[in-house]
Amino acid sequence: MSKVLIVDDEPHLRLLYETELRRAGFETMTACNAAQGLEFVETMKPDLVILDIRMAGMDGIEALQRILERDNTVPVVLNTAYSSYKDNYLTWAADAYVTKSSDVTELLDTVRDLVDARTAARN
Amino acid sequence: MDHRGFLRRRADLATAGFEAAESPMLIINPVGEIAVASKGAGILLGMENRELMGMVLENLFVPPSSVADCGKDGHCSISVLRQLQVRNAGGDVIPVEVQCSPFMAHYEGEDTGGDPDRPNHCLMLLADIRERNHEDEMRAARLAKLSLLNQVSEALYGANLSLDQIIEAVLICMTAGQGLRFNRAFLLLVNETNDTLQGEVAIGPSNAEEALRIWQDLADQAGDLFEMMTSYDQSIKKTDVAVNEIVRNMIVPMDDLEHILIRVMADRHVLRVRGDMAMPGVDTMRSWLSCKEFAVAPLTTRAGSIGVIVADNAISGAEISDLDLEFLQMFANQSAGAIENSRLYHELEQRLLDLRRAHQKQKDDQETLIRMERLSVMGETSAIVAHELRNPLVAIGGFARTLMRNLQEDDPNRHFADIISSEVTRMETIIHDLLDFIRPKKRLRKEVVVDRIVAEAADRFQAELEGKGIRLEMDLKTEGKVLEIHPGEIQQVIQNYIVNAMQAQPGGGRIEVRSRLVDGGVRIEVRDDGPGFAKDVGEKLFSPFFSTKTTGSGLGLTICAQIIKSHGGITGAMNSPEGGAVFSFILPLPRSTPTA
Repeated sequence: MSKVLIVDDEPHLRLLYETELRRAGFETMTACNAAQGLEFVETMKPDLVILDIRMAGMDGIEALQRILERDNTVPVVLNTAYSSYKDNYLTWAADAYVTKSSDVTELLDTVRDLVDARTAARN
Repeated sequence: MDHRGFLRRRADLATAGFEAAESPMLIINPVGEIAVASKGAGILLGMENRELMGMVLENLFVPPSSVADCGKDGHCSISVLRQLQVRNAGGDVIPVEVQCSPFMAHYEGEDTGGDPDRPNHCLMLLADIRERNHEDEMRAARLAKLSLLNQVSEALYGANLSLDQIIEAVLICMTAGQGLRFNRAFLLLVNETNDTLQGEVAIGPSNAEEALRIWQDLADQAGDLFEMMTSYDQSIKKTDVAVNEIVRNMIVPMDDLEHILIRVMADRHVLRVRGDMAMPGVDTMRSWLSCKEFAVAPLTTRAGSIGVIVADNAISGAEISDLDLEFLQMFANQSAGAIENSRLYHELEQRLLDLRRAHQKQKDDQETLIRMERLSVMGETSAIVAHELRNPLVAIGGFARTLMRNLQEDDPNRHFADIISSEVTRMETIIHDLLDFIRPKKRLRKEVVVDRIVAEAADRFQAELEGKGIRLEMDLKTEGKVLEIHPGEIQQVIQNYIVNAMQAQPGGGRIEVRSRLVDGGVRIEVRDDGPGFAKDVGEKLFSPFFSTKTTGSGLGLTICAQIIKSHGGITGAMNSPEGGAVFSFILPLPRSTPTA
């Protein structure tokens, strides 16, 4: 079962994503800020990271750089309320950019695709 | 000898001496006839003095009434010196000075009656004052001209006249009867844009009939400058078409130093060209003016000569006198000052106007800015609010869907959960429309000089490179080409390339940053003296996560490629034949709009 790390500082959103991802058949773990997220990337070796951008402390963009410096093979999905970050080239390093919505279908589809692609690449 | 006989003898003697006198003198008998005339009187009146005897005095004077009571019964009103006019035999009117005194005489054939001891005749002394009058006239004319010059000068400097009005006033004074009395005047000014002396405007009649009419018209006008200008407007403007055609043809290049007009400007002194003079440019002038004699005066200011006035008497053919020249010079000096003054004044006025406009624009801009700032703050605030709402909405709507999925098909609460989720979707759509569609998609691109952006980016590494023993060489040759790009992004690419080049030669070396114009674009290269890269690596360099380096995300070059791609350009990497790697990118030039 693929492990998905959710990094978001909103507890209700973490719960929502966890609920939906589990229902979709993923194993999940959550981090409530970027620093914790970085730590979990190293220690828990997730198969994919869902990363919020606007967070107190270190933001998602910086976290993205640091994650990729440690392990540039892990897929990262930027999940944010702001579509404007799409224009920032620093976000282009992410594998996907999903604007937050109460309809989580797009997020789930994206996660599934990326995980499948990675698994296929490994085999 | 009786008393009368004595008197007669005495009179005879006196008459003989009187008749021979050189001074003009007349003795008038009691009925107003000339009894005796001196030789001088005969000369003055243009006949033999004997012929004058017996003539009625009144017939000699103009008007006759001026001597109406002279001599009558020994009375005479002209006891003090008076200026009168006589008409000589040739019909000329001559100004004379006249004074009478009572005179006692008795001539043969006269029946004087009355008291023989009382003076019964009148002795009239005359003096020809033609010469004196001429001198006075000269003096008066000079005075009038000086006064006019003074008036013109006051008007030209004092009143806020436009340049055209000043030039008009100058030309009127050149030709007016109360002014310099030239027949025609032409004004030429230096045109700095094409470096020529160019005819501007002229005044004067085109033929004798016209001249006669105008001068007649103007003769009655008072000497006031403004009245002159007004009457000029009425009587001359319609007729100076011909001279203005002439003046428009007058063009002399400023570098034609031998030309008479240019020389007058250089010499700064008025010049009279007489009919027999030959100088460079004189023949051209004569053909322009159709007149052999003319005068040229420089319009000289402190800054130099700004033009010339050319004047002639083409209609009357009158000779240009020394006095005319003297006044022309004086007048030209004043005119030049006034013209220069007016130009400076209007230049100043223009500057002031520009300044005022700039000020107004600045004020307007400032107001617009404030308005926009206010709007922008409002926009920003609503954007923040909208964004802040997104997260809770995701939670609400998300869980409503979760809830809905967890409820049985027939559970009445399922419908309510559906309502929550669809209402949230509606709200999300509103926010999406507000934030994502209205938001301008345009990036922060602007027109920049490519080489400057490149140099700026490379310069930031100067200190770091020096510390690492790497020489930075810049060879930027896009000739100031301007492209519309996102300067920050392009600089990010260049810096990325430089960092790579730096890391490729840890022991020091050389980095060369080059820019060139290539077909349809601008090519930027960063070359290093490092080992270059392995052949099989080349293609993968720009793909994500590929890095030959042991540390680093490998994202640098991917991002570079994305940035360049978003600018419509391409990236490239190769090993140089001389060793080292060359990383490059090409930015396309905008497609030039085809010219019709």
